[in-house]
Amino acid sequence: MSEPYLIIEGLTKVYERGQVVALKDVSFSVDKGEFLVIIGLSGSGKSTLLRCINRLVEPTAGHIFVNGVDVTTLSSGQMRKMRRKMGMIFQHFNLINRSTVLTNVLSGRLGYTPTWRSLLGLFSRTDREMAFRNLKRVGLEDKAYARADELSGGQQQRVGIARALMQDPDLLLTDEPVSALDPATSHSVMQYLEQMNREDGVTVLASLHFLSLARRYGTRILALKDGEIVFDGLPTEIDEKKFREIYGEEAEEVEVR
Amino acid sequence: MSTKATTTNPEDALTDARKLRKRALGFALDWAIVYYFLHASMYLYLVFWGSQTIRGWNWYKNDPYTAFFNPLRLPSWGWWLILFGTLGVVVLIRTFGRSLGQRAFGLSLQARSGSVNLVKRCIRILVWPMGVILAPIQLAIPALRHGVFTHGLLHDRISGTSIRHYVHPSGTPYKRFWKTQWGIVAVALLSLTLFLGWIIIDADLGILIGRVDEARNVFLEIVHPDFTHFTTPDPIFYQRAYPQMFSIVNLMLLTVLMALAATILGAAFAFPLSFLGARNLMCQSRIGWWIYSVTRGFFNLFRSIETLIWVIVFAVWIGYGNPFAGVMALVIHTIAALGKLYSEQVEGIDSGPMEAILACGGSKLQVIRYAVIPQIIPSFLAFTLYRWDINVRMATIIALVGGGGIGDLLFHYRRTGDWAQVGAVVIAMVVVVWTLDYISGRVREKIA
Repeated sequence: MSEPYLIIEGLTKVYERGQVVALKDVSFSVDKGEFLVIIGLSGSGKSTLLRCINRLVEPTAGHIFVNGVDVTTLSSGQMRKMRRKMGMIFQHFNLINRSTVLTNVLSGRLGYTPTWRSLLGLFSRTDREMAFRNLKRVGLEDKAYARADELSGGQQQRVGIARALMQDPDLLLTDEPVSALDPATSHSVMQYLEQMNREDGVTVLASLHFLSLARRYGTRILALKDGEIVFDGLPTEIDEKKFREIYGEEAEEVEVR
Repeated sequence: MSTKATTTNPEDALTDARKLRKRALGFALDWAIVYYFLHASMYLYLVFWGSQTIRGWNWYKNDPYTAFFNPLRLPSWGWWLILFGTLGVVVLIRTFGRSLGQRAFGLSLQARSGSVNLVKRCIRILVWPMGVILAPIQLAIPALRHGVFTHGLLHDRISGTSIRHYVHPSGTPYKRFWKTQWGIVAVALLSLTLFLGWIIIDADLGILIGRVDEARNVFLEIVHPDFTHFTTPDPIFYQRAYPQMFSIVNLMLLTVLMALAATILGAAFAFPLSFLGARNLMCQSRIGWWIYSVTRGFFNLFRSIETLIWVIVFAVWIGYGNPFAGVMALVIHTIAALGKLYSEQVEGIDSGPMEAILACGGSKLQVIRYAVIPQIIPSFLAFTLYRWDINVRMATIIALVGGGGIGDLLFHYRRTGDWAQVGAVVIAMVVVVWTLDYISGRVREKIA
């Protein structure tokens, strides 16, 4: 392990409308196999940071190296290839509601499927087998032909995880994966992420709202405030004082058990 | 504290030019309303009490249409009176703080310190002409231009007032619309316009009653329809460019088929085009923006030309009375109308799934196939069915200008005064249109 898996150098994002600075000169690096939890208030730049890494949001300045490749300089075609290895999980699941669970899971394979085949909805036999395997892994194999919007929130997020698994990712970006879910479901979803991290060796970047979840699942915590890093260290290092620094004086910790 | 108050004022987000534009547009609106009332009242005066005759012809009384749209006959100083009179009234109204023009653009007259009192109002009215005359000079000289935006025009500065964004005082209730200035003026404008229109178009309810006997004969014939040619073809079409024999049933089926073909063909073209006309898909790059603009421009242009006018074009091109001409006209209009509706649906979709497909490494086409199309299919179907409805109704009358279909018979019988046969055609049309309307309505309910 000579070089970290993900290096972010001087990342800055300014949203043009209203000149809102979402990220100010953010630099850090992540080793392979880490479970990095990003915390911070709403609007502190967590989502922007994650979206800059797979360039769903175009960074204004700075460099992002994934496995030694500077993704900020890639052409859109090269970026598409790069994204295949980066799974993403969203707060609101971002499933295609009217399609079946199976189609949703298979869509994780689109980056590997030739365009003309995917336009006709033709996925290879191995892809289909893989889809059922991954659905089984998240415990939804009996829901394969249900419509995605018929599932509960936790089930939908598990479909999201299965979709990410289809990509066979090296890096998983999860943008507040559990903030739309109840506490019990949150843990089950987080455990799937933990499993991917431990067993498949996927490097996970997760933004979370609850510090208790961050402490429980993260191997390292990064805190953002107004687009700047205010804390970077082990989960155990966050005490009462640090907590107030990140969330402001008024804040009180809420726990998810 | 004061800085905080100013930053919450939405006015500050606007550029200076836009602030001035809002004031100018508000002024123009006020002036237009005042002038309209003045013109209308002078016109009405001349119509009812005027005695100007030209070669024995009092055209205000006898030709009210021409009289309204021709300049009012005024003495040479009259126009100057109107110009300055209305201007004065407008300035006066605006000085009272919340004129309609000011309200329409969310402005009000405010004092820079204290309240707007009578003294400030009078000063403002008196200095106003000077301020406006000097405004172009103020704007032309760079050194003064900055002063215009920070301290206002001359009359603003001298009177210590300015027209600024209006913030409704919290705690005070909003009035009912018809009790506000806008409500009162709106009612006045509407009734005045109705009254003017009544005079100008020379509406006469007496005609409706006076000619009731002539109309009754025709109506009686229509409600006793003659179904001779319901299934037996009428040979009249032998004399036409499209020589075939058709009965009412034949032509009705033909009409429905024309509408169906036009809808399917139109939807087939509109579907791919609608993605090019969707802002959220296209406007990420400059070239995409151009494609978007051209597509939307095409939709708007071709939609604004009514189907009947397209029929005129294609009847000349393809042949008068040829159903193909009618179908082509319907297709063109359907593409444009459906394209616009489809595009708006595409613009209204949830962007989350698009993001998800992109994040998986999907290409633009894959995003459309997997994230956009599944979201829009139901509304596309509903719109297409609705368009079929419209096309069936349109197809029944396009024969008026040579588009073919059931209208051919209808207008032929009307020309020959064969009202009983007209009745038969109309009944067939009503039954078919009503049935299709009902079916498509039910299907649309199911989909949506």
